[in-house]
Amino acid sequence: MIPEPKELRTEEMLLNMGPQHPSTHGVLRLVVRLAGEEVLDVVPHIGYLHTGFEKTMENRTYHQNITFTPRMDYLHSFAHDLAYALSVEKLVGAEVPERARVIRVILNELSRIASHLIFVASGLLDLGALTPYFYTFRERETILDLFEWVTGQRFHHNYIRIGGLKEDLPEEFVPELKKFLDTFDHRVDDYQGLFVGSPIFEGRARGVGVIRPEDAIAYGLTGGSLRASGVNYDVRKAYPYCGYETYDFEVPLGERGDTWDRMVVRLEEMRQSARIIRQALDRLEPGPIRDPNPHFSYPPKELLSSSMEALIFHFKLATEGFEVPPGEAYVPTESARGELGYYIVSDGGSLPYRVKVRTPSFFNLQALPQAARGHFFQDLVAILASFDPVLGDVDR
Amino acid sequence: MRRDQAKAYAEEKGIPVREEHGLLHLVLPLAEFKVHMGAFKEMGFNYLADVIGVDYKDYPEGTPWQHPERFAVIYELVSMPGFKDGDGSRIYPRVYVPEAKPRLPTVTDLWPSANFPEREVYDLFGLVFEGHPDLRRILLPEDAEGHPLRKDHPLGETPTLFNDGRYIDPESFRAGLRGKDKGLTGWRGGRRKGERR
Repeated sequence: MIPEPKELRTEEMLLNMGPQHPSTHGVLRLVVRLAGEEVLDVVPHIGYLHTGFEKTMENRTYHQNITFTPRMDYLHSFAHDLAYALSVEKLVGAEVPERARVIRVILNELSRIASHLIFVASGLLDLGALTPYFYTFRERETILDLFEWVTGQRFHHNYIRIGGLKEDLPEEFVPELKKFLDTFDHRVDDYQGLFVGSPIFEGRARGVGVIRPEDAIAYGLTGGSLRASGVNYDVRKAYPYCGYETYDFEVPLGERGDTWDRMVVRLEEMRQSARIIRQALDRLEPGPIRDPNPHFSYPPKELLSSSMEALIFHFKLATEGFEVPPGEAYVPTESARGELGYYIVSDGGSLPYRVKVRTPSFFNLQALPQAARGHFFQDLVAILASFDPVLGDVDR
Repeated sequence: MRRDQAKAYAEEKGIPVREEHGLLHLVLPLAEFKVHMGAFKEMGFNYLADVIGVDYKDYPEGTPWQHPERFAVIYELVSMPGFKDGDGSRIYPRVYVPEAKPRLPTVTDLWPSANFPEREVYDLFGLVFEGHPDLRRILLPEDAEGHPLRKDHPLGETPTLFNDGRYIDPESFRAGLRGKDKGLTGWRGGRRKGERR
């Protein structure tokens, strides 16, 4: 339903916003129908970052595809690696050792924090607050450094292997991570103090872009945006993977489903992620990091110079890849943006027959027109930011 | 559990059911597809998580899966946990669409969230969803030709040419094997399958 403009109706204006625009969080084009300052309708046009990953992945082996997965959601990229690996592991029946599962949880939550830090920074930037950007990037920089330490990469980690991980954590990682966690909770309090209670933020965020829970479900929202509407759906709780059911954490919920709630829910999620990491660090015991099954997991690097068999397996895995029994699998996971999963169809070969990525941003974007109608044009920018879209995740 | 309810419903209506890796697949007939989807919505599957198009043109024979038509559209229905009495059940109804008449009814009237994903399937596979409110290409430009996720759409790789006219076709140079490929020796590694024995 489109609300009538309140008075002095002269003519409607069609305004094109993007694809190159600082507050579209990438290359999103919105065609906005305006009556003065009031948004009557928004039509998102997407596809400017479409790279055809799904087609490419059909022509690469299962291990090669780990190169592509983090490039979709470049902010919470570890979640994509993990979701892909979980689906393939389900198809081949891999058993991931406990240490690898714990490390996966630690890195996944670290990556989630890094993504939420960007969300808070850019969301407030769109409301005109420049300061938080510099503070959140201080923490984000620490996390990226930790990632660089472990995986060698800051963004596109390529650290997960089917059945486990590429290599073990470096020795210095755990003490450094503990140092980071010691200060992190105070820092989140600081960020919250930067905007909660500020009359500008209250005025621009409270009651703006409200989505009722029924609408949120009808339009396909998941993740923090759905939980801000009060629906208690977190994949980590509903369909646990990687042993998330054994960790003690809460799912923060909003009450009104407005921009304010969507912002605060994510702040609280960062605290919960830090809590999960602390518990995971206590469980970190020495042990293997890959399923020992040589038919799909790479042999340890040090064996390559002494064992002929290891070298053969390594060569075959690196060139031809491993064959996956025919079947179809899907494992839902929780990325920073919502439900993320890879629907993989295997035809028995070493290349996937079809990979469909269920990316959360693609679905979340559908709710934008619903949320923005009837608000001021300036609020559209804030509402868009509060959905936390990543355009690589939308267009794939 | 709504999942069991859906399974009982399928058995009652004679819908083939297949369980694999914890997923419940239901193969709906195209003629009564909309009726069954409406029934699932009534049953309490209030969330449509995904619409997945698959082109089974090159899918090999002799696997446990039988595909009567070239295209399949797989829907992922969830009874949203945390909302009202949702219990987290997930079902994967699918409908096979013939190549000769690639049309099927839309489900946007039942689940508005089907809007974008149905457009995506239309864009990448060329399946027409009848009754869709806004069926346009979504990821590709409007003037793009063909539907790239169809198996017969070329990948667009450039062959490497040599002075004597010889060239390497990237497709034949690829070491990975598809399900229908025989491999270099035709033996396909025997035990070296990714399966745990």
